[in-house]
Amino acid sequence: MLAPHRNPIHAEFGEILCHHEHPGGQYLLRVMAPACAAVAEPGQFAHIRVTPERPMRRPLSLLRAAPGEGWVEFLYKVVGEGTALLAGRQPGDFLDLLGPIGRPFQPHPEHPRQLLVGGGVGIPPILFLAERIREREEGTPVVFMGSELPFPFLTTPSALPVPGLPEETDLALQWMEDLGIASRLASRVPRPGVHRGLVTELARDWLAAQHPDHLREVEIFACGPHPMLAAVAELAREFGVPCQVSLEEFMACGVGGCAGCAVPVNTPEGPAMKRVCVDGPVFEAREVFGP
Amino acid sequence: MSRDPEQAERLRVDFCGLDFQTPIVLLSGCVGFGDEYTRVVGFSHAEVGAVCLKGTTAQPRLGNPPHRVYETPAGMLNAIGLQNPGVDHVVEEILPTLDFTETRFIANVSGSTIEEYVRVTERFDDSPIDAIEINISCPNVKAGGVAFGNDPDMSARVVEACRKVTRKPLITKLSPNQTDIAENARRCIEAGTDAFAAINTLMGMAIDIESRTPVLGNDQGGLSGPAIKPVALLKVHQVYQVARPHGIPIIGQGGVTTPEDAIEFLIAGATAVGVGTALFYDPLVCRTINDGILDYLDRHGLATVGQLTGTLVRNDEGTCCA
Ligand SMILES: Cc1cc2nc3c(=O)[nH]c(=O)nc-3n(C[C@H](O)[C@H](O)[C@H](O)COP(=O)(O)O)c2cc1C
Ligand code: FES
Repeated sequence: MLAPHRNPIHAEFGEILCHHEHPGGQYLLRVMAPACAAVAEPGQFAHIRVTPERPMRRPLSLLRAAPGEGWVEFLYKVVGEGTALLAGRQPGDFLDLLGPIGRPFQPHPEHPRQLLVGGGVGIPPILFLAERIREREEGTPVVFMGSELPFPFLTTPSALPVPGLPEETDLALQWMEDLGIASRLASRVPRPGVHRGLVTELARDWLAAQHPDHLREVEIFACGPHPMLAAVAELAREFGVPCQVSLEEFMACGVGGCAGCAVPVNTPEGPAMKRVCVDGPVFEAREVFGP
Repeated sequence: MSRDPEQAERLRVDFCGLDFQTPIVLLSGCVGFGDEYTRVVGFSHAEVGAVCLKGTTAQPRLGNPPHRVYETPAGMLNAIGLQNPGVDHVVEEILPTLDFTETRFIANVSGSTIEEYVRVTERFDDSPIDAIEINISCPNVKAGGVAFGNDPDMSARVVEACRKVTRKPLITKLSPNQTDIAENARRCIEAGTDAFAAINTLMGMAIDIESRTPVLGNDQGGLSGPAIKPVALLKVHQVYQVARPHGIPIIGQGGVTTPEDAIEFLIAGATAVGVGTALFYDPLVCRTINDGILDYLDRHGLATVGQLTGTLVRNDEGTCCA
C-alpha cells in the first residue's frame, strides 16, 4: 500500500529564471520557488497561474527541484489556451505557483530494480524520480521513454547495456547517462538508435530478459497517456511485479477541497472516487486498473 | 500575521445570533470538510466567519464520473454530484476533528427526497455544528436538489420539514435557475427559514467539438465564478427586499474574488459574503478581501461592516449619501 502524503503547500511568487522552447511546442521552464523546491518529491506537481489575467490554475508535474538553489523546473507541451499563455511568459516575469502537491512515487527498498516508463508529457516526473533514486542510492533504475516529438534533451549513444534490447537501440539521454542510469527511447517516427514502436515494447523486452531472482526485485513506475498506463499495468500483472502509475485529470482547487479531480479506483472496501490532486497523482496500478 | 484587535472588531458580524469574526463564508463544495486548505501555508480560519462543509446526504455518495470540472470564460463548470461519505461518517468521524474555536462550521444538507433532507438535518441537529444550510439548489444530481429549489411549493415543504427537526439556525440556499426567486424566498420565510444563501450555481454545459460529446461526465454542470456575479447581485437584491422586513440575513455569493465584489454584495443586502471559486484562484484571497473591506470602511467613514448591508440607493431614490 502507498502511504498518504500530506506536506505543507506553499504559495510562492517566483521569478522565471529561464524558459526555452524546444521543437514540437515543448518548453523547459525554471522558476524560483525555494519553499517548494525544499520539499518537492518526484511525482508531485505545482498548481500554476499561467498569467495574472487567467486566474484558473494549471497543474504541471515537476521535472526537477534544486533545494540548494531554490528553483523548480517543468517541461510542458502547449496543448491548450493555458499552456499557450504560459509559453508567452518571459524570464524575469514572476509566476504564481502553489506546491508541491500530491502523493509522490514511493520506491520500496525491497524492490531496488526500478523500471521507469514515461510517455510524452509524462516523461518529466520519471526523470526526476530516476535522479532522486540515484542520489539516495535506492537502487538501479532503468528508464524508457516514448515520444512522437523530438526529445528536448541532449542524447548520446549509451555505454550502459540494457538486457533484452538489441544493440542498435542504443540512444540514451545524456543527463541519465551522466548519472550512470541506463535509458532508452521509443518513437513511432524512425530515428537512429531509437526503438521504432511503443515504449511498452521496450519495457516488455526488458522484463522478459530478467532472471526470476531479479524480477522479484523489480517495481514499475509509469507516467504518461492513459492507454500507455493501462498497457504498463497489464505488463506488471503478467510479470507479477508491483507498479505505481501517475494520473492526470482536470483540476480546480488542486489542494483537495473540491473533489473536481476525482477518478474511480478500486479499494479493499469496494469502488471509490479518489482525488488525483492529493490522494494521487500516484496510485498503485491495481487501484486504477484492477488486480 | 494577525490583525489589530480594534480593526478585527469592525469586521465582526452577527448572523442569526452566530458570531462571525469576519463577513466571509467559505462556500460548500469548495473546501471539502474544512481541513484541506489548512495545509496551505498562510491560510487561516481566523480570516473567515464560517465554513460551509461539503453537501451531505443520508448515505455515502460516490458522485459523478470524470470530468467533473472545466474552465469557462471568467468562471468554471462543475458537476461533482455530491460526493460525500454520508451524514453518519461526517458527524462521527469528521466533526470531532474540526476546531470549533477557530471559526463557525455550517453543515450543507442535501437529499433526493424530503425524508432524506429531514434525516440528515436531524442527525446534524444532534451534533456540535453551528448552523444548517439546506441545499435545494444543487444542479448536479438526478433527484432533489435544484428540482426542489426551482419549485416554491417543494422548497417550502423541505424547509418546513427540516424546521421541525432542528432549532439550530437554518439557512436556505436558493437557486438562480428559477423564474421568481423573491416569491420562493417569501415561501421559505413562511416555512421557517432563519437565513438565506444566494446564489448557488447556474446550470450550464460545455461541448468537446472533436468528439461532439459534453465535456463533463454528467453532461451538464453548475457555473460559478466571476461570470455569474451580475446575476448573483441582482438575485441578492431581490431576496433582500423580501427578507429585510423579517430581519432575515443573507450570505451573498457568486463570483466574489475581490474586496470590491464583496462590498457590492454587502450593499445589495448581504450580511455575509461567500467565497468559493476565488479560493481556487488564490487560496489566500480572504485576507485580501478583509483588508480591502476595512480600507473601504475607512474611506467611507463607517465603523463596522454591518453598517454597509443593504445601503444601496436606487436611482429612483435620489443620490448617494457619502
Ligand atoms: C466544485 C464546486 C462544488 C460545489 N458543491 C456544492 C455543494 O456541495 N453544495 C452546495 O450547496 N453548493 C455547492 N457549490 C456551490 C458553491 O457553494 C457556491 O454557491 C457557488 O459556487 C457560487 O459561488 P462562487 O462563484 O464563489 O464559487 C459548489 C461549487 C463548486 C465550484
Ligand atoms: S482539484 Fe480540487 S480536489 Fe483535486
